[in-house]
Amino acid sequence: MSILGLSFTLLFVMITMLVSVWQKLGLERDIAIGTIRSAIQLLLVGYVLQFIFNTSNPWFIALILLLMIGVASYHAGKRGKGLRGIVWKIAIAIASTELLMMGLLLGFRIIEATPQYIIPISGMTIGNAMVVSGLLLNQMRREVGSSRGEIETLLSLGATARQAIQDAMKRSVKSSMIPTIDGMKTVGLVQLPGMMTGMIIAGADPIEAVRYQILIVFAFASSAAVTSIILSLLSYREWFTKDLRLLSIEPERKG
Amino acid sequence: MKPVLELQQVRKNRTGEDTRPLFMDVSAHITEPAMIALLGVSGQGKSTLLRMLAALDGIDEGSVGLHGVPQSEMDPRAWRMKVCYVAQQPAMLQGSVEQNLRTVSFLHRIPYEEKLVKQLLPRLGLEHLELGKNAELLSGGEKQRISLLRSLLLRPEVLLLDEVTASLDRGSKELVEQVLQEWHTAEGTTMIWVTHDLEQARQISGQVWFMGEGTLLENSATASFFAGPSTETARNYMQGSSSKEQPCLS
Repeated sequence: MSILGLSFTLLFVMITMLVSVWQKLGLERDIAIGTIRSAIQLLLVGYVLQFIFNTSNPWFIALILLLMIGVASYHAGKRGKGLRGIVWKIAIAIASTELLMMGLLLGFRIIEATPQYIIPISGMTIGNAMVVSGLLLNQMRREVGSSRGEIETLLSLGATARQAIQDAMKRSVKSSMIPTIDGMKTVGLVQLPGMMTGMIIAGADPIEAVRYQILIVFAFASSAAVTSIILSLLSYREWFTKDLRLLSIEPERKG
Repeated sequence: MKPVLELQQVRKNRTGEDTRPLFMDVSAHITEPAMIALLGVSGQGKSTLLRMLAALDGIDEGSVGLHGVPQSEMDPRAWRMKVCYVAQQPAMLQGSVEQNLRTVSFLHRIPYEEKLVKQLLPRLGLEHLELGKNAELLSGGEKQRISLLRSLLLRPEVLLLDEVTASLDRGSKELVEQVLQEWHTAEGTTMIWVTHDLEQARQISGQVWFMGEGTLLENSATASFFAGPSTETARNYMQGSSSKEQPCLS
């Protein structure tokens, strides 16, 4: 795509701005910030990737992955406000998932051990793990609010933290995985996923593109399961005080 | 002899912007197994006090001890197995009635006292109940009795009862009172019972704790409390409650 072509895409931003002004949505400032940030972030990432692909230095790859995990953990951590050390726990969950995924993909030589494969696929895995972590924490917050009677009944009967919160945890893990599993069922029918679309546009054979997309869909499913289970096991105790009382959780903030 | 349960200068603060204590200076000794009625107008913190005794709510100041061991020095699980709270709103756990009754056995890997359950169910007016039924489908009164029975199976030393007969008809209420009184005699379980039913308090308890003016205002034998409370607040409470109860008694 030429620079001129790229600049024409600003038309989409203008349409959004016009809708906002016309409908008095008051989103103009956010749209402007979003436009500038997305353009700068993506262009920077493009240059960074170009540099890393050229050098192929494994330390740079590791650095990028760490950065991705850090940002993802920080963002998902917002959903677990008030829980001790939640950002670290999310980071451990996401990093374990990433290690497992890459271990399998590289170990079985499913993908080549080059930054061109490792970085985009890791980015997608980590991004999905971030969404799943956020969903899990949100759902746990809801569960702790709505199942208070049940959890405290179990505590009253002398249950451990794990015994008291087990059912709520199970429901939350399940609920955090549902979007990924639903996505598996409709992929290709409702939406053509980003990776496949990108490869096709870049000139790849659609069958080859589909193969990679299948890889991603399967990897997502297992990364959702692994992240959710690891994070729930690492964090369930944090819904209680040190002396095993259930935390009073503020209701979930909107937005 | 060390007291069964001891409360020393217990205080609970309100949450939010209100900085006044909900109650303070609550002190009491229970030297031998007792049936205590905890009375007071709504909003005095009776349920909160029970929850604090059960280690479900934190104690802001003061201490609570069981046989001389402070709550803060005991493992919360061990404490709760000895001092068990039965909530006003009974929460049924997922699964059947029987699964609910088996909770204690499941949590602590101890044998399920099936014989005792079979004895107690009819005595609580629940002989008709199918044990395989989904517990969530029970009526409010049935849930309350199942929840009580579930806690009895833990055989705690102190049972904290939060208006546990509130949604029962008169017949079922009397059955529950009788079962609990016999349990107290046979097992030596201390029961602290929050109730708004003065007739019930008079019948079941040997001791009355009256909460008012942000503290434990009276702690006296049931007979002497009902003969004439020593504070104006308690007298007003009794008058208010008995005038409300009048239509039921007639």
